[in-house]
Amino acid sequence: MRDSWLHTLQGIVTIKVRGGSPSALVNEAGAAGVRLWSIRYTEDGEMECELTVSDFFRLRPHLKRTSCRVHVTNRRGLPFWLRKLERRKFFAAGLFVFLAGLYLLSCMIWNVEVKGNVALTEEQVLQAAEEEGIRMYQWSFRMLDVDVLSRRLAQRLPEAAWVGVDKQGTKITIEVVENRNATPPSLYTPRHLVAAEDAVVTRIIAEAGRPVVRKDVRVKKGDILISGTIGAEPNTRTVVAKGEVRGIVWHNYNVEVPLVNRSKVYTGASESRWRLLLGNRSLKISGFGKPEFEQYEVVEQRQQLSWRGLKLPVGRIKETVRESAVLQRELTPEEAKTTGLLQAKADLWTKLGPNIVIRAENLLHEKTENGKVYMKVLFEVEQSITTEMPLVQMQGE
Amino acid sequence: MRHFSRKIRKLTAELLDLPQDVVFDLPRMTMIGDRQLYIENHRGVLHFSQDRLRLALSKGELEVSGADLVIRGIWTEEVFIEGRIEAIQMFA
Repeated sequence: MRDSWLHTLQGIVTIKVRGGSPSALVNEAGAAGVRLWSIRYTEDGEMECELTVSDFFRLRPHLKRTSCRVHVTNRRGLPFWLRKLERRKFFAAGLFVFLAGLYLLSCMIWNVEVKGNVALTEEQVLQAAEEEGIRMYQWSFRMLDVDVLSRRLAQRLPEAAWVGVDKQGTKITIEVVENRNATPPSLYTPRHLVAAEDAVVTRIIAEAGRPVVRKDVRVKKGDILISGTIGAEPNTRTVVAKGEVRGIVWHNYNVEVPLVNRSKVYTGASESRWRLLLGNRSLKISGFGKPEFEQYEVVEQRQQLSWRGLKLPVGRIKETVRESAVLQRELTPEEAKTTGLLQAKADLWTKLGPNIVIRAENLLHEKTENGKVYMKVLFEVEQSITTEMPLVQMQGE
Repeated sequence: MRHFSRKIRKLTAELLDLPQDVVFDLPRMTMIGDRQLYIENHRGVLHFSQDRLRLALSKGELEVSGADLVIRGIWTEEVFIEGRIEAIQMFA
């Protein structure tokens, strides 16, 4: 049987019983409520048993009656341990100091953290917190309750809508929720919308401001399309002109297309080489020697071991060597013409964006010379023609 | 009179299907293999040595023999024995 903690607290002695009648002693003890346990006989025929310290003293009268003699062979438990501790005073003192130190240090605030501040600086919040007694190396028993603290901090920080103070062990977290300010000021200054190109207006929609031109009016670059000044003189006001104005603009293109088309193609033959990747070095492990292709391109594919988004410094690189060749093709003048027009259109799309409509294309001039087709093309494109012009406030007039 | 009361007890025990040890103050033994033995309702230790334990009962005696016997715990009516138990004998 293991010693129960209650017995350990009381102190346990192991005794050896000599002479007399041990069985009678066991009976008497049992009858008197003295608890003996682990009763056994040793090799030399003596009875051994265990009992608590208080029971040991109560056993005395029964010993006399049964003419037994006992002697203690082992002592253990709290009373004996304390006795030992008494002898080792400095050890006991050290133990006490250690426990007291541990307790006191755990009562201290070791960390103050500020969360959720955007406009408020951390220093401002910490300053306010310190005035309320929240700081590093503060005793936590000298601090007020966290809900009282958060209320007082909120009073000290008018910019904050809510302040929460959370204490977890030796760490204080101050969470700040700031007031959200009203709408940010407008970033636009009053302006006109003016024409970016010479054009014929096809469509005008003014969201803000006064439209100056109408549909089918020819405008020059720099002409005001939507005015930012509204109202009749002298009660005028300036606004940010907003709207959409589209017009037809002419774009001239000089295109030249060679009649021989050279293009690079892959022949389909390929070979792969492998390299072992270690850290930022790589070691070639297969495909030594020059590739047998005359012209080739190398495509590298890197495969690295990774575990949960963490890249390991080991991997492999596959290099695919592909044979390439240059293909020459003769174009008919017709084909060259369409290619040239397509190229010109593609250029228009990239320059003006996707919101354009090509209304017409006029081939003005075309000739074939020195193995090339020369063309002059005029495109009629419907596009947005507005650009902004800031209105400068005239003052002092 | 005693004879009469015993008869009545026996009758009630049979009638109500009560356990015999409760009615007649008999020992109840719980044995786990040959290593642990728990005896209730004993009346004291008569003899104890490494290989033999003799207990008094309300009527008669009980002898446990074995080897390396240890009384793990003893209370006024119960005793808990450990060791290698070989035989249990009752003496009326």
